[in-house]
Amino acid sequence: MTTSFIDRRDVIKAGGALTLLGSAGAFAAQLAAAGEAAAAAATTDYKALVCVYMYGGNDAHNTLLATDSDSWSRYFAARNTGFSPIALMPPGTAPVPVGQVSPVTGKVSQLYTPESWGGVLPIVPATPQPIPPAPTASPARTFALHPFLGPLQTLFNSGRLAVVANVGPLIQPITKAQYVAKSVPVPASLFSHFDQQGAWQGGTAAPTSAGWGGAMGDYVSGMNGSNTVFTAIAASGNAAPGGLSLFLSGLTVRSYAIATGPVPADVIGAIQGSSLLTSTLAPSTIASLIQPTGSTSNMINDYGAIVARSINAASSINAATALAPATNVLTAPAYINPFTGLSSPNALAQQMQAVAQQIANASRLGVNRQVFFVSLGPFDTHHSQNLGQPDLLGQVAQAFAYFDSALSNIGGADLRNVVTTFTASDFGRGFTMNDSGTDHGWGGHHFVMGGAVKGGDIYGQYPTIGIDAGSFNNPDIVGATLIPKYSVEQYAATLGAWFGISDAQLAAIFPNLVNFSTANLGFI
Amino acid sequence: MSERTSDSIAPAGLAALAIAGAVGGVAVVSKTIKSSRASAALSSVSPSSAARFLTQASFGATDSSIADVQSAGFQGWVANQMAMPISGSHLTFVENRINSRKTPPNKPTKALLFNESFWLQAVTAPDQLRQRVTFALSEIFVISILNATLQYAITGAATYYDMLAANAFGSFRTLLEQVTLNPMMGVYLTYFANLPANPATGRHPDENYAREVMQLMTIGLYKLNQDGSVQTDGLGKPIATYSHDDIAGLAAVFTGFSWYSTNPIATGPKQTFYPKLGLLPLDPAAIVNPMIPYPVYHQTTAKSFLGVTIPASTTPDPLGDLKIALDALFNHSNVGPFIGKQLIQRLVTSNPSPAYISRVAGVFNDDGTGVRGNIGAVVQAVLLDPEARDDTAATSDTFGKLREPIVRVTNWARAFNASSVTGFWQVPNTSDPMLLDQTPLTAPSVFNFFAPGYTPPGTSTNAAGLVAPEFQVVNEISVAGYVNFMQSVITSGLGPPPPGSRIPDVRTTYSSEVALANSPADLVARLNLLLLNGQMSAALQNQIINVLGSVAVPTAPPAAMQTALTQRVQLAVFMTFASPEYIVQR
Repeated sequence: MTTSFIDRRDVIKAGGALTLLGSAGAFAAQLAAAGEAAAAAATTDYKALVCVYMYGGNDAHNTLLATDSDSWSRYFAARNTGFSPIALMPPGTAPVPVGQVSPVTGKVSQLYTPESWGGVLPIVPATPQPIPPAPTASPARTFALHPFLGPLQTLFNSGRLAVVANVGPLIQPITKAQYVAKSVPVPASLFSHFDQQGAWQGGTAAPTSAGWGGAMGDYVSGMNGSNTVFTAIAASGNAAPGGLSLFLSGLTVRSYAIATGPVPADVIGAIQGSSLLTSTLAPSTIASLIQPTGSTSNMINDYGAIVARSINAASSINAATALAPATNVLTAPAYINPFTGLSSPNALAQQMQAVAQQIANASRLGVNRQVFFVSLGPFDTHHSQNLGQPDLLGQVAQAFAYFDSALSNIGGADLRNVVTTFTASDFGRGFTMNDSGTDHGWGGHHFVMGGAVKGGDIYGQYPTIGIDAGSFNNPDIVGATLIPKYSVEQYAATLGAWFGISDAQLAAIFPNLVNFSTANLGFI
Repeated sequence: MSERTSDSIAPAGLAALAIAGAVGGVAVVSKTIKSSRASAALSSVSPSSAARFLTQASFGATDSSIADVQSAGFQGWVANQMAMPISGSHLTFVENRINSRKTPPNKPTKALLFNESFWLQAVTAPDQLRQRVTFALSEIFVISILNATLQYAITGAATYYDMLAANAFGSFRTLLEQVTLNPMMGVYLTYFANLPANPATGRHPDENYAREVMQLMTIGLYKLNQDGSVQTDGLGKPIATYSHDDIAGLAAVFTGFSWYSTNPIATGPKQTFYPKLGLLPLDPAAIVNPMIPYPVYHQTTAKSFLGVTIPASTTPDPLGDLKIALDALFNHSNVGPFIGKQLIQRLVTSNPSPAYISRVAGVFNDDGTGVRGNIGAVVQAVLLDPEARDDTAATSDTFGKLREPIVRVTNWARAFNASSVTGFWQVPNTSDPMLLDQTPLTAPSVFNFFAPGYTPPGTSTNAAGLVAPEFQVVNEISVAGYVNFMQSVITSGLGPPPPGSRIPDVRTTYSSEVALANSPADLVARLNLLLLNGQMSAALQNQIINVLGSVAVPTAPPAAMQTALTQRVQLAVFMTFASPEYIVQR
């Protein structure tokens, strides 16, 4: 007898015996008793959004690069400087063995220098990018990815990965002249990690009180039956790089934290057994005292509520994750550090495995709409960027490829069409260098992956490259700062529209959306 | 002590407080506490009031520290504490351990050696107030051993923490300068070996420290009134303290500083300014000594920030420019309320009243002797303020704070006189959310484990418009992880077993508690005092007493009796630590 996802679903359609609905308690019991049969409550209308958050602010200028001669020469001039230049090598450049002299830079190649990594990896967008207005002189624009993003190049070419150019928090469209003249409002505390994490995760309107993942969850949690607790799941795991994490907090939906590994919920051992330290009264008494509700203290009640949520959800999610198809989810691969050659877990891929397991559990748990949050860092590469960013990008690329692969076979079903994965980060980084890295910026480029994504293309106008010098006045970069052309709210609303959030609901979540000519960037 | 009845500056108090490193006197209580209230409190400190004070001012109350506070009074205890010498050097401990740790079977990583030293001092050092304040400072002036370079420079991390301790009751201006020149901060916020601008390529000085020293360590994002409230413009929008131009101007000041050397070389293959990418300097002394200026790399253009302009110069003057910059930061009117509020939040309560902040900020501005930035005076003002000392806060809906996970475990170790068999306090890394979600000096970023303005979404605290910073590390995993971790700690101990043992290195026999365990009510009363300042609800007391009653204690044989009594103690301690009533200090 087959146990594949689709076959089970077909069985259920044929039999028509089970329903999606049921109380949480009954459901937990059902899990234990019915085992595989419970999974037969397969969902036919499932969708998930997965936010891959790059803590610290990823340097987008070294992630997606314009390689036409004019852009490239200005890029190279700005970044081939300082103690440890971070300018990448042009497309087609062969890796220079460590110790040999690079024909591009005339410098001795080292493990940690771009000379030894080889050229950036070309990608050809399906839609030719508009040539920026003067002063850019190139006849056509060409593009490439960081040399450590090979798996993303493959996904792009396969049509399941798109790039969205120059996104950042905005209140309304803004030109360089308007920014310099301060004649148009901009989000508060640009360039600050904490505040821009808030702006990216919360939307510009409410940067530190709620997140748009949770807000979307508010509108769809009704589709998750008795298990609304699993609407918004954070799988940042045991290696969370820190920072604000409010993406999943809505008005009613709360972020539910899971661990990576085979057991997603940590179970409080002391309240499980029939006795503790010989006392048969202890387990039930402890279970009671650790989740108080009637204290005079707000914080005591708040803490008790989180304990209660932890206890109430743990058994059902752990039981489900211990069964197929969650147990058959592809295992996250180890990551080989490109510099040291050492193998270590890919923390992001491990989180994505935990997410894939919960996607596999969706039918078992009766949930139809989920928002996930995973993260990696630190991308805050002020210094020694050559040591930090390539290694992190390598992990991101491997994790994306892993997730694509894992989702292609969830209990025999290809779920890539119903799961959309996208990146977010505090901000892009400055275009120019300091001694060996880059400082905080504003706009950046982002990846969106999934079967529903109109991949193989770059969405939005890629900015003009270069610092102002002489008669060259870059309309997109002021000082070192790339001014975003597209707002986080447009980016998010595009994802939300696919997720099933109505225009009116999107307008409620993103109050600045009306300031822009379109609410949909068209990448999905 | 003469302060007890005095409403004026007390000479005896001054003498007691005139310690090395402190600036001027600290006799400011007359400015911050109504004398009648202070005298009443000092003349008759109850054990529970003393315990509550020690919850705020130390790593946890003990029998003897409660007696000390009762004997000396709050202010006298503070004075005695500030007069104590620093109990020990983390650097010395770490240096000694770097070799001795190689002895099998327990070989902690280098990064864990500071952790050992932290736990040794936090639990056992007599200068508890300095210990607790230093820990608070380490969460404002954040460096983190998570940083790959710092993991290998653990002597540097130890030196940094020693520096914070040395300045814990000293001058904020001195602290700011020593933080700024510390090479571990230089590495962590990446301004060591910072180059001046190069207009041809657009290269600019690294802005990391310039930004964070303003945002997190001195003045914050928005202009503040002395009571901590945010100043707004005509449209009701907060007024920013600084712009990106200020950051760029300040960043230019932090150029041309790098590794200490007895023979600094600025250029060429043997230069000491910038060793090979990602590598530490060859000279270990560079890791534990302040950074030094390399004038050739210092930017000489005009530098403007916070309304100050350092004119362009043909002669680079890194230290002169640094003095102007740090003076400007130090003298900014935001520092008092910004830092004062954070010290209140770390020690006393998450949501101090504006009046409380204003009183503390006032002491920052002037300690009573005309001195600005006297941290010792500020600490005293924080702890002796009527809002901090009001024991009726035990029933408040908003007063108090979540105890940090690390502090909960120091509370355990101190209350029950735990000891380390090896003497090394081999506490492991506890950063996993299934453990404590926190390890000293190991914050995930310069934004600390939790931000001062964090408010947990979807809570009554949030709905009330209040903050609860420590809730940033509270989630469904960490609440369960904490309970499980404490069960293990309380019933068996903490850390790897030393050679020849199966019991963890850090352990206690609960001798004082076992002696009471035949009387559950007496045992609970003791835990209520030591851990909950006498604030334990009747309901929780009854729950624990009932459970203890369910553990029968045989009269013989003695071993069986001892086992049962110990089980009662472990149950009572565990239930107390697991209770949110304890986890939130009030």
